[in-house]
Amino acid sequence: MKETSLKVSNIHVKAGKFRLKDISFEMKKSDYLVILGPTGCGKTVLLETLVGLREVTAGHVHLNGKEITALPPEQRRFGFAYQDSLLYPYMNVRDNILFGAKAMKRDREGAVLKRLEGTTQKMNIAHLLERYPRSLSGGEKQRVSLARAILLNPPLLLLDEPLSALDPKMRQSMQELLRDLHTSEQIGILHVTHDFNEALQLGTKVLVMEEGRVLQQGKPMEIFNKPGTLSMAHFLLVENIQEGEIIKERGLSYFRKKGNSLLLGPLNNHSTNSVPDRRKAYLVARSGNIRLTLPNELVEGPAPNRWLAEIVQKNLYHTHVDVLCNGCGYWQVAISISDWQRMGLEIGAPVCLSLKKEDLHIVEERNFK
Amino acid sequence: MLKRGSLFTFFWAILIFAVLFYLLLIFSIISYSDLEMLAGVLRDPEFRFAIKFTLWTSTLATALATIVALPCGFLLSRYRFKGRAFFDTLFDIPIILPPLVSGIALLIFFGPFWGDRLARLGINAVFTPLGVIIAQWFIATPFATKTFKHTFASLDRRMEKVARTLGFTPAMVFYKVTLPLARNGIIGGIIMAWARALGEFGATAMLAGITRMKTETLSVAVFLNMSIGDMKFALSTALVMLLIALFLLVVVKVFLSDEVRT
Repeated sequence: MKETSLKVSNIHVKAGKFRLKDISFEMKKSDYLVILGPTGCGKTVLLETLVGLREVTAGHVHLNGKEITALPPEQRRFGFAYQDSLLYPYMNVRDNILFGAKAMKRDREGAVLKRLEGTTQKMNIAHLLERYPRSLSGGEKQRVSLARAILLNPPLLLLDEPLSALDPKMRQSMQELLRDLHTSEQIGILHVTHDFNEALQLGTKVLVMEEGRVLQQGKPMEIFNKPGTLSMAHFLLVENIQEGEIIKERGLSYFRKKGNSLLLGPLNNHSTNSVPDRRKAYLVARSGNIRLTLPNELVEGPAPNRWLAEIVQKNLYHTHVDVLCNGCGYWQVAISISDWQRMGLEIGAPVCLSLKKEDLHIVEERNFK
Repeated sequence: MLKRGSLFTFFWAILIFAVLFYLLLIFSIISYSDLEMLAGVLRDPEFRFAIKFTLWTSTLATALATIVALPCGFLLSRYRFKGRAFFDTLFDIPIILPPLVSGIALLIFFGPFWGDRLARLGINAVFTPLGVIIAQWFIATPFATKTFKHTFASLDRRMEKVARTLGFTPAMVFYKVTLPLARNGIIGGIIMAWARALGEFGATAMLAGITRMKTETLSVAVFLNMSIGDMKFALSTALVMLLIALFLLVVVKVFLSDEVRT
């Protein structure tokens, strides 16, 4: 059987004064696509557009090769749930879950009732069927909302911040449930969030949005380590963002940090090869990607980009130590507790910092907003 | 300027004064009535006519007001269109205008302006029971419209959106989601409109006249009997109207308590 796929091509949407601009992406049934972006970037508008609640002003949406751009929501039949569950208060849980089936006059069908039983058992809400929403906890409501969305085997499940209204413990169990649904129900999930941890933990693909546009899409770790723009690096809380310029030497590109002579490279970022000399750029590095060693310690592999620094601050966590170093600027480095103890480090100790060539991620000025 | 403590003491004093005044007003009517007098008036054919006439005309007027106010309230709350503010303001006119002035407008419309044409269609509103219904409907409709509008505006529209994704058409969503969600507000609005129709006097008097045992509502009965000095009848009728008003207010408060905040 051909795999379900959603193809969104260059859609533009007008929502009051807000605009979605030129959004394109594809997803398959096997994908757990997380749409990530700050509040107000247009994630919910995009989701509402995909389910058919908003009209597109340009572009196309295809499901399994069939154009659905102009189809109303009741004909698309995507599973859809908002963050705050939105159960109908005048119906009990059973009627809420069967509400979609009722629209199709299938709420008394044996197969649908069997599916209701299976779904509610899987989601651990079978004991709540006769209860009314007001008597349910936040997590229970969200489970009922999910059961309602998937009861009739929709082609895709679209979720608008499904975990944001839950407490951390409930959030963890919902994440497990969503992961389980994705595999056991074999349903493609499109999950909107502003929390990058959710994207890392759940997503097989991530699409990042800002101000109505798609900034970057790819695998979660790829985006985590190599955000495409400066604003994305800030949004993704990249610990080290250093201003400098791109220097060309004998056909190779290097990054020179502003205010000192630190030269890093050669860069293997394809986008920097075509840029002119002395173009303003930023080095973007995760604290875990910067290596901290003692000055006399040998570093394995080819001669890396190394520089000397001094520890000026440390923050001890139960998993690691965050170390702030000063040398050619300030750098935040994360090392393991055992490394911290092994090297006998303390505030004021001299250290050597290094970055692997593949971790030299540069975002150019032209990529910036 | 008053200090914070003394300012709120002043507020409390005003509140207590207002509440006391209202309670004294109610008490004054009760104190001038007695059960024997009330029982006598309740058996009076004129009172019986007035109460029956008031109940059926106000109920019919409220039903008509609901039929008009429900779509008007829905559209005014949900759609942004040119002239919306103007339309909305039109519904304020019967609320702001003195009922007597509304009555004059109705009298001209159903009299010299379009009276002949409507009469050919069998519609005779001037000095008839139909006029009473029209006057009550005219005064009650804006109250129902405003309440319904606020009720629809206060609903979470995402509830309706979810229903669309579950397979319901917009019309089905209105019946299966919007109306049930707005139920309390709608009931509250209907009761409010009914209460307004029940006590209507000014517009009714102008359009339908104040004819004993013909267009005699409870309000008209109070006026007629006060004017001829029958205090017993007027007071007993006023007491009945007061009791009905208190009952309706309690019911409105219950239904509107959590859905409509105007």
